[in-house]
Amino acid sequence: MKFDKYLIALNILASIACILLALKYIAVPYAVSSIYKERYKELVFACDNVMRDHLIAKNKVVNEKSEQSIKQLKAAELGLLTCDDYDRLRKKMIDLGVSEGRLSMYGLEAIEEKSEDVRTFVRTHEFKY
Amino acid sequence: MNLNTKTLLLSFFIIHCSNLAVAATAEEKIVKEQIKAAGFVPAADLYRNPDESLSDLGKVFFESNKGLSLNGNISCRTCHQDKFGSADGIPNAAAIGGGDGATKVGPERLMNGAKQLPRNTLAFWGRGAKGFDVFFWDGRVDFSSPKKLTQFGSKTPSNDALVTAVHLPVVEVREMLDEDDFVRKHKVESVEKSKAVYQAIANNLKSVESKASQDLANRLNKKPQNLEYVDYARAIASFIRSEFRLKETKLERVMRGSEGFSETELKGARIFYGKGACVTCHSGPHFSDFSFYTVPFPQLGFGKNGFGVDYGRYNATFNTKDLYKFRTAPLYNVEKTAPYGHSGSVNTLNEAIVAHYDPLSLVSVDKLNKFDRYELAKRLGYADSTSRVGYLTPEEVSQVVRFLKTLSFNQ
Repeated sequence: MKFDKYLIALNILASIACILLALKYIAVPYAVSSIYKERYKELVFACDNVMRDHLIAKNKVVNEKSEQSIKQLKAAELGLLTCDDYDRLRKKMIDLGVSEGRLSMYGLEAIEEKSEDVRTFVRTHEFKY
Repeated sequence: MNLNTKTLLLSFFIIHCSNLAVAATAEEKIVKEQIKAAGFVPAADLYRNPDESLSDLGKVFFESNKGLSLNGNISCRTCHQDKFGSADGIPNAAAIGGGDGATKVGPERLMNGAKQLPRNTLAFWGRGAKGFDVFFWDGRVDFSSPKKLTQFGSKTPSNDALVTAVHLPVVEVREMLDEDDFVRKHKVESVEKSKAVYQAIANNLKSVESKASQDLANRLNKKPQNLEYVDYARAIASFIRSEFRLKETKLERVMRGSEGFSETELKGARIFYGKGACVTCHSGPHFSDFSFYTVPFPQLGFGKNGFGVDYGRYNATFNTKDLYKFRTAPLYNVEKTAPYGHSGSVNTLNEAIVAHYDPLSLVSVDKLNKFDRYELAKRLGYADSTSRVGYLTPEEVSQVVRFLKTLSFNQ
């Protein structure tokens, strides 16, 4: 009998721990994913876009060096800051419990988002061979 | 009406008809001169096959799903089917992972969960024939000038462009190769690393197609253990040359004088070689100048650069002048190779022609998402003035299509 209150306290503590663990590993990552997923995918595109633009600007300076192409390159270099936004959001999501695997999956989804379009296109068009 | 009146009317009718015939003949003569001047060559004169004796063995390797794919079930034949005009009949190629490469082909393969590639499968007609030395949408195998362009740099595996081109799909991850530990280890883009992968594919072919490999070794006077992938590539290239060789077309018969154009075909030819100026780029023996232009076809699928972006030729040269450019499509049997464009985004030849002068009519701009709209605007900005033809009416487009059908032949 004298241990009852300890047992109850232990149960309460265990329950709180379970709830906290569930919050940390399931609820929060899920909520964070839901909130930031689209923003994350958008930043994957934006970062990739500025990196592509930067490479194009660099190649343009190599192939057609002019005052304008140099200006474009400098602008593209500054544009790379967009990738910093991507990095920050990625780290924030990891800190809040979203796994790197899931983030990679979102990145892949963003890159290949349009692959389903092809199936829809084939489904909806009557091809004549 | 008395007899004299009837005779008079009949005479007028005959004179009118003969005038029409003379006009049509004169017009056809002028058009034929233009066709000849644009580089028309009879099909038989274009055939070349230095390794013809290997062609029958090439067929075995071309169709070897387990041999050609190191760790999957797909062969060249999977995506180059007779029933789809030597391609696969879908917008973006459906590659590895779609099931048995012998039975699951075309749309069925796509729906079966195959990994998608970013571009439309190219047809094989006339590949490797005389004057056909630029391969793939972005010309990443380009032997049209002494300075050969390939991803192998100076260590090109063969001096034959088609044999070199046959080296590419088998080592393309997602295409005929799935990513496993061996592939990950050798994925670094170096010629030395790729040699190990090619040798592994050659060894795989030796084990899966042992009889044909033995025959290949005999014909090349080699020991079977010394067979390399380039030996198999020569056989496959030989089969492609022979199987997909150009054959006599209606146009050829018209040029020879044994047949005439129909009225609609002649009108189409007049537009193709005249006001449509299609001949500016679609010239030469293969109806392609093998140069690169930006025609703003709608983009379908995720694109070579991801996110629905495909920079085309730029991916091969890294020259900004090549952004969004693709090789001028050769036109033999073009009616059989739908869908069209680098991402197969248009379904009919009529639409493919419209893409050259009224591309926005093929896109519902209000339904595009913001990134697609942004990309479309960019692509339009790069569109070549060379590739823009004058406005054609739907009837004129159909006439050009009828002319293009004179470039068809049966396998």
